[in-house]
Amino acid sequence: MSEHLLEVDRLSKSFPGVRALHQVSLTLKPGEVLSVIGENGAGKSTLMKILAGVQPADSGQIFVDGKKTSFETTRAAMDHGIVLIHQELNLCDNLNVGQNIFLGREPQKLGIVDSREISRRSEEFLKRVGLSVSPQTIVGRLTIGKQQMVEIAKALSVDARVLIMDEPTSSLSSKESASLFELIESLRDQGVSIIYISHRLAEVKRLSDRVIVLRDGEYCSELIGNEITHANMVSNMVGRDISQFYNRTPHPIGETVLKVNQLTTPHWPQHPVSLEVKAGEIVGLAGLVGSGRTELLRSIFGIDRPLSGSLEIGKKTVQIRNPKEAVHHGIALVPEDRKQHGLIIDLSVQDNVGIAGLQKNANRFGFANFQRQKSDTDTMIDRLGIKTPSARQIAKFLSGGNQQKVVLGKWLSMAPKLLLLDEPTRGVDIGAKQEIYQLIEKLASESMAILFVSSELEEVIGISDRAYVMHEGQLTGELDRSELNEESIMRLATNTAEHKEAKT
Amino acid sequence: MGDRGTGLLKIAGITTLLLLLWCILVWESPLSFLTPNNLENLLRRTSLYGVLGIGVAFVIISSGIDLSIGSLVCLAACLLALFLQVDYVPVGQVEVWQVRADASTISVAAEHGFKQGDELWYYKDRRNKGLVKVVDIGDTELLDGKSVTVLTVEPPPKRDQDSREEKPVGKISSTFDVVNYGGNAAELENNAPELKHNDKILFVHASETPREKTIDRNGEANQIILTDEDSGLNADFRAVPIRKTPYMSIPLALLSVFGIVLCLGVIHGLLITRLKMQPFVVTLCGLLIYRGLSRWLTNDQTVGFIEYQETLGKVATGRWETGIQFMPVKVDPTDDASSWKLVWDSAEGAQMFGVPYSFFIFLAVIVSAIIFLNLTVWGRHLQAVGRNEEAARYSGISTHRITTLAYVLCAVLTGLGGVMFAIDSNSIAPSSFGNFFELYAIAAAVLGGCSLRGGEGSILGVVVGTALMQTLYNSIVLLKIPDELEFTIIGAVILFGVAGDELTRMLAAKFRSKEA
Repeated sequence: MSEHLLEVDRLSKSFPGVRALHQVSLTLKPGEVLSVIGENGAGKSTLMKILAGVQPADSGQIFVDGKKTSFETTRAAMDHGIVLIHQELNLCDNLNVGQNIFLGREPQKLGIVDSREISRRSEEFLKRVGLSVSPQTIVGRLTIGKQQMVEIAKALSVDARVLIMDEPTSSLSSKESASLFELIESLRDQGVSIIYISHRLAEVKRLSDRVIVLRDGEYCSELIGNEITHANMVSNMVGRDISQFYNRTPHPIGETVLKVNQLTTPHWPQHPVSLEVKAGEIVGLAGLVGSGRTELLRSIFGIDRPLSGSLEIGKKTVQIRNPKEAVHHGIALVPEDRKQHGLIIDLSVQDNVGIAGLQKNANRFGFANFQRQKSDTDTMIDRLGIKTPSARQIAKFLSGGNQQKVVLGKWLSMAPKLLLLDEPTRGVDIGAKQEIYQLIEKLASESMAILFVSSELEEVIGISDRAYVMHEGQLTGELDRSELNEESIMRLATNTAEHKEAKT
Repeated sequence: MGDRGTGLLKIAGITTLLLLLWCILVWESPLSFLTPNNLENLLRRTSLYGVLGIGVAFVIISSGIDLSIGSLVCLAACLLALFLQVDYVPVGQVEVWQVRADASTISVAAEHGFKQGDELWYYKDRRNKGLVKVVDIGDTELLDGKSVTVLTVEPPPKRDQDSREEKPVGKISSTFDVVNYGGNAAELENNAPELKHNDKILFVHASETPREKTIDRNGEANQIILTDEDSGLNADFRAVPIRKTPYMSIPLALLSVFGIVLCLGVIHGLLITRLKMQPFVVTLCGLLIYRGLSRWLTNDQTVGFIEYQETLGKVATGRWETGIQFMPVKVDPTDDASSWKLVWDSAEGAQMFGVPYSFFIFLAVIVSAIIFLNLTVWGRHLQAVGRNEEAARYSGISTHRITTLAYVLCAVLTGLGGVMFAIDSNSIAPSSFGNFFELYAIAAAVLGGCSLRGGEGSILGVVVGTALMQTLYNSIVLLKIPDELEFTIIGAVILFGVAGDELTRMLAAKFRSKEA
């Protein structure tokens, strides 16, 4: 028993009407990387929250070093060496690195915070995570990747023996991800155990000693060593065959819908970008995080005004100064940050679906047409298979995939000619991912033009007819369907002929 | 929009509180609470403050704040008073630009219309005035760039020390024969201009003190009935007809006030949306600026509408008589208030209950606001912008325009409130009028369920919130709670109200998360 650092015995947790977790057990050895995978709603988050003391279990037991314990608070979990690193980082932007690491536990001298001591001790932890920044650096100035390192250093500073990482790479570039993986491996060698949660199966495959698959709140299976393959994981998670994942049907490609001529965005004023998208065409926009893809979409949609260049919509040069005008020209954007930009999370499904069309469907006195809104919403719930008890359900209570469908429904009700998608499957479980791919296919076959940004190479390769690749604000290349592979994309994305990053 | 359920729950909660307070008042102090007078007052105050509450609710729903309401109420009131200021100007009065006593001439503005032999009334100040007769009308000439006519008059007016100045040295106007005078009726010569109710006549005499009389109405022929009799007057006097001339007509004045506050609202909105200034700062500056402007425009003098008793005054004090008469009376004189009954109609001292006109204005505002907020595109957009401005923008909503609209609506409703308060009180002291009104309005809106986080709130809630605030105020008077505690009590009730609201919110969230 004592060979296990952590042992979890038949944990269950229910919320009214939902069985979030049912009789799940797991063990964790010192210096082991254990991945927990499963679709959204499979119970991963609930399990991790229980382990980190965020919420209590209904039944079941937790043993640390063979001793039965229970955590009421995150503090108690921390005292046992278990630390959860959230998807959204919990750092104070305005404080420096050292202050963040020792936040709430500042060493003091005569009641005064001892900054020198903070710096000295921080350096030691920063060295351990391999981060070469001064403890005096303000956290807000660091990249997300480095901030994550700070978070891990903070965890180490409380003598963490189990690090729970929830989607740690979701906002990292591949380079940053790679250094995170190295860190995880070195921590493992130092005897720290890691519970790793990710939707990105390539990462899971690379890092894990062992993988536990959850499905519908229950333990499903365990994969060890060379059982950990992409296909195996997917079929275990979904209970479905992967072969139809990117199920493509050829469809005719029509006239040019969008033409971008020498457009410069405020973020990359020195790099003009030109591209075009035709009706019925699915065009991928690949590149590393921060390569200017989102900025390009924002400028096309009128959120940021382009500095120079022009846009042609259906052969006509147009000026788009704000999203309203973009919508007027038949453009729709499904933004990357669903909760901040895509949805008004406190409003109902119907309010969210109907918001873009309010003005268009109103009568001439400005009165909103609620019947139309209701019928549009019902159509979209039906058409996109949005799982919601009713059109009146508040959006924040839906799962990520269903929220994304609500955003899609909002724009489909406007019947756009051009659909811009920014990381459309981020934070969406595999089942919903597949539905979204099918929907994109279907829309293209109905001759909608689609331009989508994705950081997942297999997604770009899987569904694009054509793809552009960006690097530091520059369009570094255009790849045809036949030229699309991970190597060609990565070469353009890093803009180096010799750089080859093996991703799978 | 969104969670309609919790919205209704909030209104239900605060309505219960209001009813409870009414019950306490009926129980504790029925004889003074249930009088028609008190109820009318309560209704009137609720209407006045309610208009402001609804105004600020729009801004709060847009997730902003407006602190300038109190000062803007004052500014609107002062502007209305200034625009409606009344001057009494003698008919056909012209300026005198130069007096030359040695030559018995005066130089008057060229467009005068006097004839030889006319008797004129010259007025410079209290000591330098008098009747003069035109002996000769000279040529038109230029005097300091002004075209003037030189009149030779008899007797010569007193010479002025400083007669060559930029401003006129006096004024002169025609006088008319008083053909007949008796009682309070005066008959003027045939060619005298027609005068109306509230115009005046200045009776002047070569040797007697002039007397100013107000006209009540026109009698037969050229007869004019004055408001009072004066035995000192007789037909030897000459009449200077004086016409009441308001600076603006009432509709024009109202329109101007609304135009100005609307512009101020637009300025608030543009500063907040275009310059990205914080609403708190912008409207805080408004609070200071408008207060100062009001004091400066009025020379810090109290202004009012004394001349408008029959028009605006009627609106302010007017009521729609319901025909219901009632009075609470003590049944057992030995007992205190605890045994009483409501007596309808015939009781001694029973008063008629009437609905104040201001309530109807309020009602119209409520209905329009509810329709606007819930049924129109702009209202829905406003709620969306308040919840999440970014997401609204990403959905193609002109968020800047919608936010500006909220400040404009608030400013216009504040202007309306200002006008209503002004004619209601009829005495506007620019340094204190409207003080703290923004806080009452915000308090009522918050009590009524508006969240300062934005996106939440209902008009009905604000109405009930205002009624609750006013009832509280009423109960402090009726229950003989020391005045000094007024703010303490209102503050405490708001605090408990909002705390209770947050508690229900937390419980609801907990329940929901369990459900999810």
